[in-house]
Amino acid sequence: MIKKVLIANRGEIAVRIIRACREMGIGTVAICSEADKDALHAQLADETICVGPAPAKDSYLRMDRILSAAYATGADAIHPGFGFLSENSKFADLCQKCNITFIGPSGEVIDKMGNKSEARKTMMEALVPVVPGTKEAVYSAKDGKVIADKMGYPVMIKASAGGGGKGMRIVTSEEEFVHHFETAQQEAKNAFGDDTMYIEKYIAKARHIEFQILADNYGNIIHLGERDCSLQRRHQKMIEESPSAAIDDNLRKEMGETAVKAAKAANYCNAGTIEFLLDENNHFYFIEMNTRIQVEHGVTELVTGIDLIKEQINIANGVKLSYKQEDIKIQGHAIECRINAENPYKNFAPSPGLVTGFHMPGGKGVRIDTALYTGYKIPATYDSLIAKVMVHDTSREDAIAKMRGVLGELVIEGIDSNIDFQYQLINNNDFKEGNIDTGFIERLLKK
Amino acid sequence: MLKDMFKKTSSQSKKMLNSAQIPDGLFQKCVKCNEILYAEDVVSNYYICPNCGSYFRISPRERLSMVLDKGSFIEWNEELPISDPLNFPGYKQKLKHVKTVTNLDEAVITGEGIINGTNVAIGVMSSDFLMGSMGEVVGEKITRLIEGATEKKLPLIIFCCSGGARMQEGIVSLMQMAKTSQALKKHDGEGLLYVAVLTDPTTGGVMASFAMLGDVILAEPGALIGFAGPRVIEQTIGQKLPEGFQRAEFLLEHGFIDKIVKRSKLKQTLSILIKS
Repeated sequence: MIKKVLIANRGEIAVRIIRACREMGIGTVAICSEADKDALHAQLADETICVGPAPAKDSYLRMDRILSAAYATGADAIHPGFGFLSENSKFADLCQKCNITFIGPSGEVIDKMGNKSEARKTMMEALVPVVPGTKEAVYSAKDGKVIADKMGYPVMIKASAGGGGKGMRIVTSEEEFVHHFETAQQEAKNAFGDDTMYIEKYIAKARHIEFQILADNYGNIIHLGERDCSLQRRHQKMIEESPSAAIDDNLRKEMGETAVKAAKAANYCNAGTIEFLLDENNHFYFIEMNTRIQVEHGVTELVTGIDLIKEQINIANGVKLSYKQEDIKIQGHAIECRINAENPYKNFAPSPGLVTGFHMPGGKGVRIDTALYTGYKIPATYDSLIAKVMVHDTSREDAIAKMRGVLGELVIEGIDSNIDFQYQLINNNDFKEGNIDTGFIERLLKK
Repeated sequence: MLKDMFKKTSSQSKKMLNSAQIPDGLFQKCVKCNEILYAEDVVSNYYICPNCGSYFRISPRERLSMVLDKGSFIEWNEELPISDPLNFPGYKQKLKHVKTVTNLDEAVITGEGIINGTNVAIGVMSSDFLMGSMGEVVGEKITRLIEGATEKKLPLIIFCCSGGARMQEGIVSLMQMAKTSQALKKHDGEGLLYVAVLTDPTTGGVMASFAMLGDVILAEPGALIGFAGPRVIEQTIGQKLPEGFQRAEFLLEHGFIDKIVKRSKLKQTLSILIKS
């Protein structure tokens, strides 16, 4: 049984994992960079090891130092959180070689699903519907253009090793193809060191619907319903909700079963997410699988009542899944608004700095995951997510009303944040009516 | 500090048994930039530091696997008898120890192999075996390699790496310089190609004999190539040496070698040379 977990992450997710471990009586080791010595996760854990200077590549991404920290503190498991090393198959393999339980799937599975064009191929072979596009990877603009011309525009160029919107371009006409392919490919090479690309048909006015998966070491795989993450800006999610307003029970059942089929095809283990695009005609297509716990996992926890981090630890302990598919019930409606330290009126420029005042709302069905506290200095080196504000109520309408109240009461002083912007989004009529798609925010910003 | 106000919930001690066991050899340190490197990364990068690009020294078998077609190597003259002409104190024991540690019978492996379909005679020296020093056995193996190449009409490639002559064998070591050089003359007389690849470090008696007799002399980036070592030279002439002195790049500039070839391009370059 796992006795001590090293959390190879920072910020609110590190706090979340430490909290789960505290509840389970498991010891916790935090790692921090020099800039994070006063961070909440570093203070909350039983032990903390500083692993290097502020830049992630010198600290949170240093596999050798993280393993040394685990060895020195006697940690027998590592939870990678999301981002950083969570989808690094080499790190997962290394943990295994060092007799440390990696709380997640194996390096082999991470590799298979992490290469997006490989993942598409696996899904196609498993008869999971994918966005119409290439089966094999594309290496040159010339080859790509032949495929794109045949497919018909608009098309989406994507990086096989990609994520976070990098190495992605929408091409609306034939003349632009070569230029967009070459810039996307260069971007992919710079960001991921891998310039293999793939091409998909671009689906306008699509909704991003993802299904939460839990799989144990014995081949039992279930889904915990969907999250609608259509509200995005530059491919970064801003608001997530469960269940999706666009899906009826039949479609939910079909998509859920397909998600489980996809996870089975990937030989998946532990927590993961299958992402689909849903078009205007209610056709859904696999786009990718995320082989880690996600930022928005809390939304699923609220509607299902299941603690996903604890389940991850249980699965890593070799415990059989205690739920069958029929046990999973979606109750009520949950919404999450991501709060970032940024200024929406200055093109979302990051706004690190000292938090001089912080008031956290509360009450029934209110959950806020954050690492903020009054007097905390937000470092400039990391991503700008500072709080996840979640609400849970009996209906979507009530959840929106609750979120309005919560966002109205939330106070973060000393830095700029997107609280007001989120407040506007929540009050938007189209949002209230559920008329949203992945282009929604961009269109709103143009006005 | 919030830290002092939080209550602990687990009673786990600071260190427990049976947890992480980091196997040996998983990580290594680069001597140039001091970075801790994941060993697999180094291997997949041709044993070059992924951080600073400095070249690590590699063993003869690693070199052969990088350069020759898979499974094509046939070793010649394994296990020649030990030579100890001066009955040098402790030499036999030292040899025995080094053989066990390196799993080599001497400081050079010789034989024949195939590079992209063309047969070659090939020798690779090892800096792990008494710093690649040349004594009678090394000299004999190299001479027999050259003679075998001459007889079979094969092009010859020797990867040179040495601290110089093996002092424990005295004048016999020095004689190997002449022995190997005259064998090369006969190989050359048959109109056959000899490519010398100088690796880090190539110095002393080896540098002053067969290493610099190649029809084409290649070197790896940053390799130390010289006769006397830099410290000895500085002490002798009483002057500070110029930046990069005795490095491959310096020698290329001053016309001592023909080309510096990156490790990843070596097989391709050798293949072109031996085919022409």
